Amino acid sequence: MTKTYQDFPGVEWVEGSGRHISVAPERCDGCGNCVRVCLAKCFKISSKKAVVDNLDMCMECGACWYVCAPEAILFSWPPGGTGFRTRWG
Amino acid sequence: MGEDYDVVVVGAGFGGPVAAHKCASAGLKTLVLERSITPGDKVVSGLVIPFYGFLFAPPFIRDGNPPLQKPIRKVVNHFVKNGEIYASDKSLWLPPPLALTYSAYCEPMCVWLADRAVEAGAELRTSTAVMDLIMEQDRVKGVVTDKGDEIRAKVVIDAAGTQDGLALKAGLRRKLPPDALELYMLWDFEMAKEDVDSTFGNSVEFYCAMPDEKITAPLGYGSTFYIFTYRESIHPGLGQFLVTEGKIPHVARLLEEYFENFTNTVSRWKNDIAPKLKLRAKMFDVCPIYAGLDRRIREMPIYGEGMLIIGDAAAMESSAFGDGVPNAWFSGAIAGDVAVEAVKAGDASASFLRRYDERVKAHSVISASLSDTRRWDMRWALPGNDEREMRRRAHELFGRGVWRYRHITGQVLREMKTVLSRDPMVAGKWMKMFNRYNRNCESGYSDPPSSYEPAPKAGIYSEGREAVIA
Ligand SMILES: Cc1cc2nc3c(=O)[nH]c(=O)nc-3n(C[C@H](O)[C@H](O)[C@H](O)COP(=O)(O)OP(=O)(O)OC[C@H]3O[C@@H](n4cnc5c(N)ncnc54)[C@H](O)[C@@H]3O)c2cc1C
Ligand code: SF4
Ligand code: SF4
Repeated sequence: MTKTYQDFPGVEWVEGSGRHISVAPERCDGCGNCVRVCLAKCFKISSKKAVVDNLDMCMECGACWYVCAPEAILFSWPPGGTGFRTRWG
Repeated sequence: MGEDYDVVVVGAGFGGPVAAHKCASAGLKTLVLERSITPGDKVVSGLVIPFYGFLFAPPFIRDGNPPLQKPIRKVVNHFVKNGEIYASDKSLWLPPPLALTYSAYCEPMCVWLADRAVEAGAELRTSTAVMDLIMEQDRVKGVVTDKGDEIRAKVVIDAAGTQDGLALKAGLRRKLPPDALELYMLWDFEMAKEDVDSTFGNSVEFYCAMPDEKITAPLGYGSTFYIFTYRESIHPGLGQFLVTEGKIPHVARLLEEYFENFTNTVSRWKNDIAPKLKLRAKMFDVCPIYAGLDRRIREMPIYGEGMLIIGDAAAMESSAFGDGVPNAWFSGAIAGDVAVEAVKAGDASASFLRRYDERVKAHSVISASLSDTRRWDMRWALPGNDEREMRRRAHELFGRGVWRYRHITGQVLREMKTVLSRDPMVAGKWMKMFNRYNRNCESGYSDPPSSYEPAPKAGIYSEGREAVIA
C-alpha cells in the first residue's frame, strides 16, 4: 500500500515502515525541540513529554534525533522498501 | 544466511556506487545494499553538481552520459529590500561550453551510477536495509539486514549518508551536533523549457536579504533563498540551521514562513516566475553543511577495523556551497582503491586501512571544501544590519570573488594543473565532456536506465489530507 499527502506532493510513502522512531519517556525532558524541527508534524507534547503522534509523513531526515539532547529519541531505519520515496529530490 | 563477499557497500546514493565500481572493476566480489526500492529515491538534495566533481571523479562519470538537466554558467545574487531587488551581483560566470555546475535529479543520477557499478560486476540488492554490523573482537566482519540475513565481508564500506547509524554502532563516530546541520525545504515546479530559458537562461539565483525581510534564515545561519534551474522545471529551496544564534528555533514554522513571505512579497517571483509554474513536489532533508568547520566532527574517525566511511556518512559536505556529491565521489573512489589493496593484502585491519584517512586528508579539494568559511562568514553582516558587508560577502561566496579565494578555487585550479601535467591528453577528454554534457542537457539524452521501478511521476492526492493511491 502506498500513500500520498497533500502537504507533500510528489512524495509517496510505502506502508510497512512500522515505528522506526520512538520516544523513551523516562529520558524526555519535554523541551519540545523535536516538535520545533519536525516539518512532518510527527510529534506532540502530552503531559510534558513528547510522544510520536504519527509517522505518516516522516521523511527520515533525523532532525528530531539530532536536536534531542537527552537522547530520548530512538531513531532507526524503516525496513527496506518502505517509508518515503520521491523522484524529485 | 551465511553469504560471503570481499566488499559490502551500504548505500547506493552518490558515493556507494563509485566505491563499488572500483571494487568490482578490480575483480572483487562486491555487494551493494540499498534500503530504498530504487537507488536515489530516498536521496533528497539540491541538486547542482559542480564541474570539478566530474573532472576529478573516476573517468566513467566524465566519459559517460549521466542524466543531467542543465549546464549552469552564471550565478545571480539578488539583494532584496521590501520585496524589490535593489541590486544584483552577476559577476560569476563561465562561457560555453564550460559550466560552473550541472543540475540533476537524485533518483535518475543514483540509478545511473548504480547501473555502472552493476555493469562492472557488482551485485545490487535494493529494498534491503542494513540494521546492524557483525562484530567480532571489535572488528567489523559484515552486516545484518532487516530480513535477518548475515552477510560477511572482508571490508564494509559505509556509504549510508547523513543519517548513518552504522559508524555509531561500530563505535567509530557519534551523532552529529545540531549546530552543524541545516534543515532544508525544497520545492519542484514544472516550467516550460522556453520559460526557463527566457526567465533564467543558464543561471541559478540566490536571494540575499537582511533578517527583518523574513524571506530567508539570518545570513550565515542558513542558505539564502535559491532557485536552481532544470531543463523543464525549477527547484527552489531554503534552509536554516537546527541551532541559530545558540538556540533551537521553531525551524519547521520558520521555513514555511520564509517561503510564504518570499512568494507573497518578492515581485520578481510574483510577476516573472510564479505565473509560469505548476507545483510538482515538496520535500525536506537535513544536510551537515558546517560539519567540516567543527573540530569535534573532524576528529571523528572515518575508518576502523574492517570498515571505511565515505561521503555524508563521514560528514564530507562542502561548507561553503553545500555540495557533497564531489566529495562523496572522491572519497568513494579512494575507499574503493583502499578496499582493493586490503583484500589483495589479506589485511583489513585499522592499521592497514589508515591509508584511506591519509589519502582523504591529502586530497586537496576535499580538504579545501571542508574548511571553507565563506558561508559561515555571511553572519558578520548581521551586527549593524550591514548591507554593504552582506554584498561584499556574497561577492566572495557566489560572485567573482571565488576566483581570488585561496581555498577551494585555488585548489581546484592547482589540481587541474597536476592532473594535466601527469597526462596532457586529459584536457581533450574534459573538453569532450563539456560538449557532450551540453548536447545531452539540450536534448534530454542520457544512457538508458536498467529496468527499475521509478517513484510516481507526481503526487496524486484527493481533496482530503490523504488518499490511498495504490
Ligand atoms: C537539501 C540538500 C541540498 C543539497 N544540495 C547539494 C548540491 O546542490 N550539490 C551537491 O553536490 N550536493 C548537495 N547536497 C549534498 C549531497 O546530496 C550529498 O552530499 C550526497 O548525496 C552524499 O552522497 P552519499 O553517497 O554520501 O550519501 P547519499 O547520497 O545520501 O546516499 C546514502 C544512501 O544510503 C542509503 N542507506 C542509508 N542507510 C542505509 C541502510 N542502513 N541500509 C541500506 N541503505 C541505506 C540511503 O537510502 C541512500 O540511498 C545536498 C544535500 C541536501 C540535504
Ligand atoms: S527533543 Fe527529546 S527531550 Fe525534547 S521533547 Fe523531544 S523527545 Fe523530549
Ligand atoms: S525524522 Fe524528520 S520527519 Fe521523521 S519524525 Fe524526525 S524530524 Fe520528523
